[in-house]
Amino acid sequence: MLYRLFAGALILAATLTVAPASAFDESKYPDFQGQWKRKVGTVNSWDETRRPGLPQDPPLTAEYRKRWEASMADQAAGGQGNDSRVTCISNGMPRMMTILRQLEIFIRPEIILIVFENNLPRRIYTDGRDFTAKDNIPSYNGYSIGKWIDENGDGKYDVLEVETHNFKGPRNYEPSGLPLHDDNESIIRERMYLDKSNPDTLVNEITTIDSALTKPWKVVKNYRREKNAEWYEDLCTENNNHVMIGKENYFMSADGYLMPAKKGQQPPDLRYFSTTGN
Amino acid sequence: MAFTKRSIVALALLVTFGLPVLDATAHDESKYPDWSGQWRRPRGLATQWDQDKKAGLAQEAPLKPEYQKMLEWSMADQAAGGQGLDTRYTCITNGMPRMMAVIQPIEFVILPNITYVHFEAFMPRRIYTDGRDFPKDAEPSFAGYSIGKWSDTDGDGRFDTLEVETRNFKGPRTVEFTGIPLHEDNQTIVKETLSLDKSNPDLMHNLITIIDNAFTRPWTVDKRYRRDRNVMWFEDNCTENNHHVVIGKENYFVNHEGYLMPARKNQAPPDLRFFTDAPK
Repeated sequence: MLYRLFAGALILAATLTVAPASAFDESKYPDFQGQWKRKVGTVNSWDETRRPGLPQDPPLTAEYRKRWEASMADQAAGGQGNDSRVTCISNGMPRMMTILRQLEIFIRPEIILIVFENNLPRRIYTDGRDFTAKDNIPSYNGYSIGKWIDENGDGKYDVLEVETHNFKGPRNYEPSGLPLHDDNESIIRERMYLDKSNPDTLVNEITTIDSALTKPWKVVKNYRREKNAEWYEDLCTENNNHVMIGKENYFMSADGYLMPAKKGQQPPDLRYFSTTGN
Repeated sequence: MAFTKRSIVALALLVTFGLPVLDATAHDESKYPDWSGQWRRPRGLATQWDQDKKAGLAQEAPLKPEYQKMLEWSMADQAAGGQGLDTRYTCITNGMPRMMAVIQPIEFVILPNITYVHFEAFMPRRIYTDGRDFPKDAEPSFAGYSIGKWSDTDGDGRFDTLEVETRNFKGPRTVEFTGIPLHEDNQTIVKETLSLDKSNPDLMHNLITIIDNAFTRPWTVDKRYRRDRNVMWFEDNCTENNHHVVIGKENYFVNHEGYLMPARKNQAPPDLRFFTDAPK
């Protein structure tokens, strides 16, 4: 009798414990909470172990290497080269994962949200969907599907693998204008996990497969956790003194006058104005 | 016999009392309302502030005479091809409270300490529900600093209402596209009460009260959002196809061929004094 009583209690207790089916058990997931910033001492180069520009030594095809060199030459002359961030457009993937500012990661069972201070958020779906999902429309961030892995078998996920497809462009990796292919067929693979020896370091191994590359390009980003988090509303257009007219980038002076952004630059064509400028 | 009476008792006690304690990090979503999905404006409505009235003067915003004149000027400027007081054409965020007019769909992400409101075209709102107070040294922002409090108004053990207060703004901000202005002192206080309609769980009410020095009294509207469960998210990068160009205080237009054009009749071209090859 006593056995039956306690066996019944056991079943009831187990049922009650399991009952809140909608409870999200955070203990199954790694602690990615807080604010993540670039590693101290790194700039916003793509491979954070190297300086931006030529030291990156990317495996670009000859055609795209020429484009990149033209971008850097234009920047040296005062232009923006391939770097479209001057227009306040999103950096898109993979460049946004350099963390220009800081980011925050929210984990829910079906989705992970990466929230930036100056780019629209990334949605990484972990609900088992595939890339045939009907809402998979091209974007600068791409469409991301993630998978949690318990690599050490301790019953807790420790690695997030993400694959991102379906892009818009143009996109580039870093301010030097290191280009991705115009076909926008890039595939970005990420592996994110906490450093085993330092849980305040989040490692992101990013591999880019792109038609502008001769082989997949893997870099390892290390993000540091800032526990004393402070968020800032970084609105790119708020104080953007760059003015794009057609394909020309100009600059606006502090007193509101249009200025050349590079030496010898022609002014904009004013053919549509009935009165001329001063 | 693998289990003795004592071990079964111990196991039952452990399962009953031990595991829920061990599981302290679980976020019990059943305590919160189901606000999942995508929330949109009711069908047939534009982005006017009070959804029950037409935009502009018909809103009957309780503006002080000085700010009523500003609204009238803004609408007159817009009628002449200008943008009036509406700054959205520069791709700056609408900020609070206007962003809650829900131009494009929004999403709520509810976590124990914070509720996020995600937009397609703006950076997210953070509504802190961790019991904090308004910080004294926070940087002002267009979205403001939001503190929320969940309440269980019908006593069924589940939160159903989120009350939010938002302060600490930057400006200029407007209440709607016609340019209904908020005061330049940016001392606005926005109070929101968000809850699902009792007879229709796919309808959300957001009772928004604006307290602002441009107003003669607090202004409350009942915003309704309809749930779309057939979720489709779109990346709305405002600057991607923005043909407006602001030079100084003038708004111009860039046509599809890349030529600068006047945005209104007889608009003077920009002053090109800094160009050596400028037309004379």
